[in-house]
Amino acid sequence: MSLATLRGFAASSGRRAAYRPAVGVYASASRNVHSSAPVASPPEVPTHSTNPEEPVTSIAMRGSNQLSLETPQNKAEYVLSTLDKVVNWARQGSMWPMTFGLACCAVEMMHMAAARYDQDRLGVVFRASPRQSDIMIVAGTLTNKMAPALRKVYDQMPEPRWVISMGSCANGGGYYHYSYSVVRGCDRIVPVDIYVPGCPPTAEALLYGMLQLQRKMRRNRKSVLWYRK
Amino acid sequence: MVSLARTIRSIRRVGLKEWWHQMQYIGDAKSGKFMGRDQFGNRYFENLNAEEEIPGRHRWVDFAQHDFNATQVPPEWHAWLHHIRKDAPPEDRIMQNLSPPWKAPHYENLTGTRGAYKPYNTTKPKYEAWEPKVAQRG
Repeated sequence: MSLATLRGFAASSGRRAAYRPAVGVYASASRNVHSSAPVASPPEVPTHSTNPEEPVTSIAMRGSNQLSLETPQNKAEYVLSTLDKVVNWARQGSMWPMTFGLACCAVEMMHMAAARYDQDRLGVVFRASPRQSDIMIVAGTLTNKMAPALRKVYDQMPEPRWVISMGSCANGGGYYHYSYSVVRGCDRIVPVDIYVPGCPPTAEALLYGMLQLQRKMRRNRKSVLWYRK
Repeated sequence: MVSLARTIRSIRRVGLKEWWHQMQYIGDAKSGKFMGRDQFGNRYFENLNAEEEIPGRHRWVDFAQHDFNATQVPPEWHAWLHHIRKDAPPEDRIMQNLSPPWKAPHYENLTGTRGAYKPYNTTKPKYEAWEPKVAQRG
């Protein structure tokens, strides 16, 4: 191994150590070098906040890897996280779901597209082709017979892709959980991002699920992750 | 209805700064009666003039947080916002008097943070994976 490689490894490992969040999963007691008890106990985390400057979501983010990713620590990371935000903005503004309507949930999915909840105002447009869509809404009971078709449609979707599991049947089998012919949750076939509960969920619930997926898209910091390794 | 006259009227009422804030978060120039502020700092408005606001858009919330979502509205104000209660919580005597003392504090949806809800199971599973066992052969 050459010296340059060694130096590079040392630098990268040092960088990795420096960018680790100070608290959280890395600072657990089992990995602590010092055996003596700490002087001060960790501060009590409040479970509730009415301060708009420090809402409960930001309290819940304390010490998390996500917060570390969202906080740029040098100019390169600043540029990369800004690029990430631009990408996120573009992705969340035009979510095109592949409709995989299997049962009565599909009717509520159609209601989301209709005038009252009007998904078009969020840039959500149903596409009938998996090659042109980036979200799959699995709406309804997934049977054993349909499962290979679901997986094939998912495999045809281009990256990045997300899956919303809609309704009890798609979440975990629901009413047909003990049936011989039903898949007990579509997460046995495809990786699911958002689970929308309900039997069937209202169109409002599904739309809220889409908004939660937007939130998830906004959390993406892939290039910062790549930079930090 | 959205019109130039309505926009200018709203700007004159609420001021340029507030109008800019509304365009960033609500996406429309709105003006109405300030109904109150909840414990999180969200502000609630109402405009019953059908010429200025389409009925159905006449009650609205201006969120305190930049990253807003609908679960930041506490249940009392949610009831007013969705016309479950006629009067806003500061004026609604019934809701004030009937508010139960055991009511837990409202917190918003913490999905995606460390406070996210994680379900767990406490019962024995009803079915188990098959573990093939070979019987001893003689």
